Amino acid sequence: MAAKLYMFLPETAYLLMGLVLFLLSLPKEQPGGRVYVWALCLSLLGVAAAVAGLPQKGLIFFQAYRVDLYSQLFKLILSVAMFLVVSICWPLTGVERRYKPEFFLFLTTCTLGMMLMVSAVELMTLYLALELSSFSLYILVPLRSGDNIDIEAGVKYLFIGITASCVMLFGISYLYGAAHSTYLADILEKLPLWIHQPAAAIGLLLTLSGFFFKLAVFPFHFWAPDVYQGAANQVTTYIATVSKAAAVALLVRLTSLTGGTSLYLSYILIVLCVVSMGLGNLVAIVQKDLKRMLAYSTIAHAGYILMGILTMNELGYSAAVFYTVAYMIMNFAAFMVVVKLASQGQDLKISDLAGLHRRSPLLALTLMMALFSLAGIPPTVGFTGKFLVFAAAMQQGHFWLVLVGMINATISLYYYLMVIKAAYLAEPETEAPPLVIGMPTRLLNYLLIVVMAYLGIFPQQVMTLAENAVKQLIWGS
Amino acid sequence: MTAAFPYLSLIMLAPALGLLIILFLPHDSKRAVRWVSLISAAVSLLATLYVWQAYDRMAGGLQFVERTLWVKSLGIYYYLGVDGINLPLVLLTSIVLFTGVWTMWDLKHRVKEFFALMLLMVVGVYGVFLALDLFFLFVFYDVSLFPMYPLIAIWGSTRKEYGALKLTLYLLAGSALILPGILYIYFKSGLFTFDLVMLAKAGLAPDVQYLGFFLFLFGFGVLAGLWPFHTWSPVGHVAAPTAVSMIHAGVLMKLGAYGVLRVGMYLCPQGLIDWAPLFAILATVGIVYGAFVGLAQTDLKYVIGYSSVSHMGLVSLGLATMTLGGVSGAVFQMFAHGIMTALLFSSVGHVYDSTHTKMIPELGGMAKVQPRASFFFILAALAGIGVPCLASFWAELLVFINGFKVYPVLGTLALSGLVVSALFMLRVVQKTFYGPKNEKYAGCVDIRSSMIWPRAILAGTILLFGLLPRLMLDTITVGVAPLVELFK
Repeated sequence: MAAKLYMFLPETAYLLMGLVLFLLSLPKEQPGGRVYVWALCLSLLGVAAAVAGLPQKGLIFFQAYRVDLYSQLFKLILSVAMFLVVSICWPLTGVERRYKPEFFLFLTTCTLGMMLMVSAVELMTLYLALELSSFSLYILVPLRSGDNIDIEAGVKYLFIGITASCVMLFGISYLYGAAHSTYLADILEKLPLWIHQPAAAIGLLLTLSGFFFKLAVFPFHFWAPDVYQGAANQVTTYIATVSKAAAVALLVRLTSLTGGTSLYLSYILIVLCVVSMGLGNLVAIVQKDLKRMLAYSTIAHAGYILMGILTMNELGYSAAVFYTVAYMIMNFAAFMVVVKLASQGQDLKISDLAGLHRRSPLLALTLMMALFSLAGIPPTVGFTGKFLVFAAAMQQGHFWLVLVGMINATISLYYYLMVIKAAYLAEPETEAPPLVIGMPTRLLNYLLIVVMAYLGIFPQQVMTLAENAVKQLIWGS
Repeated sequence: MTAAFPYLSLIMLAPALGLLIILFLPHDSKRAVRWVSLISAAVSLLATLYVWQAYDRMAGGLQFVERTLWVKSLGIYYYLGVDGINLPLVLLTSIVLFTGVWTMWDLKHRVKEFFALMLLMVVGVYGVFLALDLFFLFVFYDVSLFPMYPLIAIWGSTRKEYGALKLTLYLLAGSALILPGILYIYFKSGLFTFDLVMLAKAGLAPDVQYLGFFLFLFGFGVLAGLWPFHTWSPVGHVAAPTAVSMIHAGVLMKLGAYGVLRVGMYLCPQGLIDWAPLFAILATVGIVYGAFVGLAQTDLKYVIGYSSVSHMGLVSLGLATMTLGGVSGAVFQMFAHGIMTALLFSSVGHVYDSTHTKMIPELGGMAKVQPRASFFFILAALAGIGVPCLASFWAELLVFINGFKVYPVLGTLALSGLVVSALFMLRVVQKTFYGPKNEKYAGCVDIRSSMIWPRAILAGTILLFGLLPRLMLDTITVGVAPLVELFK
């Protein structure tokens, strides 16, 4: 029993963290900074728990919950990303003062939901975990102070999210109909025989929709620009990083149920992939708001990740996992600059970056590195990610898809360069004072720059880790 | 042959080390930044000279090889080596880098960032020339391209932001063809290695070579200034600051031609045979077009920019002949043109810095005002025209002889292009450096004595290899001979 509890360690840590934060949110007079310190320490504890949980293996809760390298790796990724997001949440500008403890509480429950999600191997468990994280986010989005743009974003997010959930439930019913079981282990046995039937393929595709929504894949992308712009900068950072990892984890896990190739499914995924890349990149070009632009670029990056998934082999899955890690790092770096720069928690226009290289050379450098990485320029981690994804697609003979992907990467370079140009070349109309950034932020900047370059030049370890994790996907019942 | 000491890594990583040191220097220590840059360039140059001297021309083949497994699951190797083809180009890079850093000694504006980016770019250039692994070659290729954007956009002149953006997007659009090409070859070969030599030995199916060469030709061709994808090049050259123009026109454009040669022709010889007529036609159109458009320019840098298009067309024509003489001539032309263009830009850079104009009608009689700058410009211009005893002469001669042999009609057309380019170069020399003096610029100072040296090194190189072409050709033919065997 103790061993089984030990398997549940990271989740337990997060449960406790949620509890503490809940208690802290009860008093009427808000303690301010104390909540932040608690949240930061507890999320660090969460990272420690995830590291300790890494070597665990086994099935618990009536075989509905599987702990293996794949799930534990994602829990580690989630908890590290959560810690990083919390670390830039002070001063918590842009969130109404009375909601600050709740802000950390819902971040915690959301991450907890995602952790449950990556381990769930039974469809109902999976659905519940997904809803736990989704509902936390539905609350987090409208917490922003100021005008009512956040309400609009929150409502949009809620409606599209619920629609995606419904579609997903409908898909699950098809899968249940095909396999007569909600256990992934049973489905894994039966689905490869049935996958060439339209019903099974459509069932799986609809089930994936819930995660397409999270990843902002076309046609579930409509929320992204409004939510990215409307939510507080810190919440957007969370949505743009942590939330993506869980979505990819589940997309890969569910797609692997096909046990190999499925032409139906891969054709549909190719269409989604191409449309996501094209739409995201082309619309991003005309954006004036930095977060909106990053939202459209997210849609494009969802397309790249999908390119790895649609290959339906181990190389592609591990490439998608690697890409996700890369994407989280570079996107976090970009959003960290946004958070630090928007000192009042306001939205940033791209033109607001003018003169950044003088105001804070370090932030400008981090931003440049992150954007070059997002554009897939070597030797950054973003390039390695793209390279792996493209290699996987090419291995399956998708020559044209790779070509379209590369052309898209070139298009994306244009709007990333526009931002770099704003930060390095444009002269502000009124000279803003230099940005003072504290030592912890400086260290975080150095760390991000080094990691982006290091993983670009020496990708071996993370690649091996991703490959080993993906090997756990196919298991016998 | 594996080297005892990693000279090639030293050549490549000396600028990288310089870059790291510069990053940690304080912002206002301009002197230190310059010295670090110059010293790291000098280390590269010395190591290059050693390798040049120690390369065994009797044995030939790849020497100073360094090979380490990098990513096992994908078959990526850190694999460097030199042969007769890339050795001259590495030498070219070292010379242009060293003289380029020296030429920019007086830069005042954002010094630290400038030299950091320039060194980063050069690490990429060395990497492309030295790498024998397709993955690394591509990585270095992109590394050499993207610093161009800030380098031109921040320190450039005439329409700098437009020029920088156009250049970056064109070149990276080219690399959008290269990466699919590399991956295509990687999987079609079935070897699961990016090792260029192993892939070439394996021999690819003709249809794979057909598509592969097409991708490489147009992917790398953009950077080689292959018509009709050359339009970024004059605009970019004009906008770039002096040292960047030097490296860019002198070295970076050669990366494109080198890519076509090393990756396209080496891996897909059958593909070249299929595509050679188109390649030769585009090359010839480039030669003639560049010359005629150059004739109409009034901006000194545009003139050089279009003459580069024309001269790089010669390189392409040489490659398309598929003969020992033609390909060797093309490699020699890459070297000679690189040195010559660097000298041209270096001289024009001085004229522009002192007069703040590079419009030909405004200048005049500069030979009296700035005899030193004029001397170097005229020498380089003569080299460009193909005057005997200067390096380009031999290169152009080889290309033309073999061009005539293989493509009689195109060869004749190309020669007419050369005549026109001679015409416009001489016209520029006459209008800018002779004729009535513009009194406005009479007081402009000449190149000061310490700054003569970088130009003198370039001029000396042109003369040296012009008088002793065997020195270069013996090396080149050792590398080209086995390659040409593939086309038979």
